[in-house]
Amino acid sequence: MILVLKSVIGACLVAFIGIVFGLLYKGIDRKLHAHMQMRVGPPVTQPFKDVRKLFLKENLVPENAVDWVFNLMPVISLVSVISILLYVPMGVDPILSTKGDLILVLYLLMLPAVCMILGGFASSSPYATVGAQREMVMMISYEFPLAVTIIAIVWRLSKIYSASNIFTLQFIAAHPLWNNVGVFGVIGLAILLAVLLIVTPIELSKIPFDVPEAETEIAGGLLAEYSGKNLGMFYISDAVKTVVMASIVVALFFPYNISQYFSFPQYVDYVIDFAFFLFKAFVVIFVSVTVVRTSFARLKIDQIAHMLWVPVTITSIIGLLLLYLDTVF
Amino acid sequence: MIGTLETGYGVWSALYWLLGLVVLFIIVYFIYSLGGKTVKASGDKGKPFLSGNEMEKEKIHVKASNIYWGFTEALKSYYTPLKGGHTGNINDYVSWFVVVLAIVLILAGGL
Repeated sequence: MILVLKSVIGACLVAFIGIVFGLLYKGIDRKLHAHMQMRVGPPVTQPFKDVRKLFLKENLVPENAVDWVFNLMPVISLVSVISILLYVPMGVDPILSTKGDLILVLYLLMLPAVCMILGGFASSSPYATVGAQREMVMMISYEFPLAVTIIAIVWRLSKIYSASNIFTLQFIAAHPLWNNVGVFGVIGLAILLAVLLIVTPIELSKIPFDVPEAETEIAGGLLAEYSGKNLGMFYISDAVKTVVMASIVVALFFPYNISQYFSFPQYVDYVIDFAFFLFKAFVVIFVSVTVVRTSFARLKIDQIAHMLWVPVTITSIIGLLLLYLDTVF
Repeated sequence: MIGTLETGYGVWSALYWLLGLVVLFIIVYFIYSLGGKTVKASGDKGKPFLSGNEMEKEKIHVKASNIYWGFTEALKSYYTPLKGGHTGNINDYVSWFVVVLAIVLILAGGL
C-alpha cells in the first residue's frame, strides 16, 4: 500500500521536477550556447515562455494526417519520458527502486523516440517521413554501444558483489565502480564514460546529431507539421529527456553525495544531495550537449550511423574488454 | 498472478509501472488540455509544408525502401559483399548452410 501511495505521489513529484528543471536546463543551455558564440542569448526562462506561447496557439492538424496518432503521440512521449524518472536516482533513492531495473530504463528510453517516429509518419508530410526514417536509423545505431556500456558496468559490479538487485540503478549508484577497480578498470570506465557522453546528444537529437529535425535541410523533419500544444508537448518531452539522460550518466559514473560531510538533519541532507545532483546533471549536460552543439556542425545520417556502428561500438567493446582484463590481473 | 519479476540480477513489476503511467497520463493530459483548441486544417492550410512546391498527394510519398538508406550507406563495405552472396540459386544457399553448420559444429565440439 505504501508503495502504491509512493508511486502516485512520486509520479506527481517527478513530473514537476522533470518539467521544471528540464526547461530550466534548456534555458541555461541556450544562454551558455549564445555566450560561446559571443551573443547575449535569450533569458534562462525563455523555454517556459516558449511553452506558454505554444499553448496559446491553435493546434493545427494537417488534412491528410491520422488524427488520433498525430495528437496522441506528443502526450504519450511526455508520459513515457517522465516515467523513467521513477526509476532513476536523483540524489536520493529512486521512487520505484525495487520495481524496475536498468534494462527497463533502456527500453523506456526508446519510447519517446518511437512516439516521435509514429507522430512523424502520421502527419502525412514528406519532410516528417524523412525525419522519422532518420530517427529509426539513429535508434538502431545507438542502442548497441549504449547497451554495451551499461551491461559492462553491471557485469563488472556482479564480479564484486552478489546481490539480487544488481541491475537496479539504486544498487549501481550505491556502489560506485571507480573505488573497486584497478588501473585497467579505471581506463575502461573512462572509455565507457566517453562513449556514454557521445551517445547522450545522439539520444537527445542535438547538434551535430539532429538529423531527424535538421531545420535548414528538412524544415524541422519529424516536427514539421506540429504546432501549438502538440509541439509544446514534444518540446517539454525533449527537455525532460535531457534530465533523464543526465541522471543516468550521473547514476552510473558520478553517484557520489556530499551530505555525509555535514551533520545536518536528514531532510536537509536530502536537499543537499538533490542540489548536488542538479549540479552534476548540469555539468553532464554542459559537456555532452552545450559544448558539443556549439563546437560541431551537423553530420549526415550515414556519417552518424557509421560513427556509431564502427568507432563508437569498437570503443565501447574496448572499454568492456578492459573491465574484463581488470578481473584477470 | 501478476507479481514482480525477479531474475536474480534485476527486477521488474509491470503493475507499478502502469500505475505510475496512469497517474502521469492524467497529469500530462491536464497540462495538454490547457493548450489552444485543436483544428483540423483544410485547403491550403491543411497541406503538408513542401517549401512552396505544388505536388499531387500521390507524388509526395517517401518510399519505405528509403528507410534504411543511412544505415546501408554507412555500412556498405559490409553489405556489398553480402549482396554478392545472394545469387538467388538454391544450391548456393544450401552450400552456405552446410559450411556455416560445419563451422558451428566444429566450434561447439572444440569448445
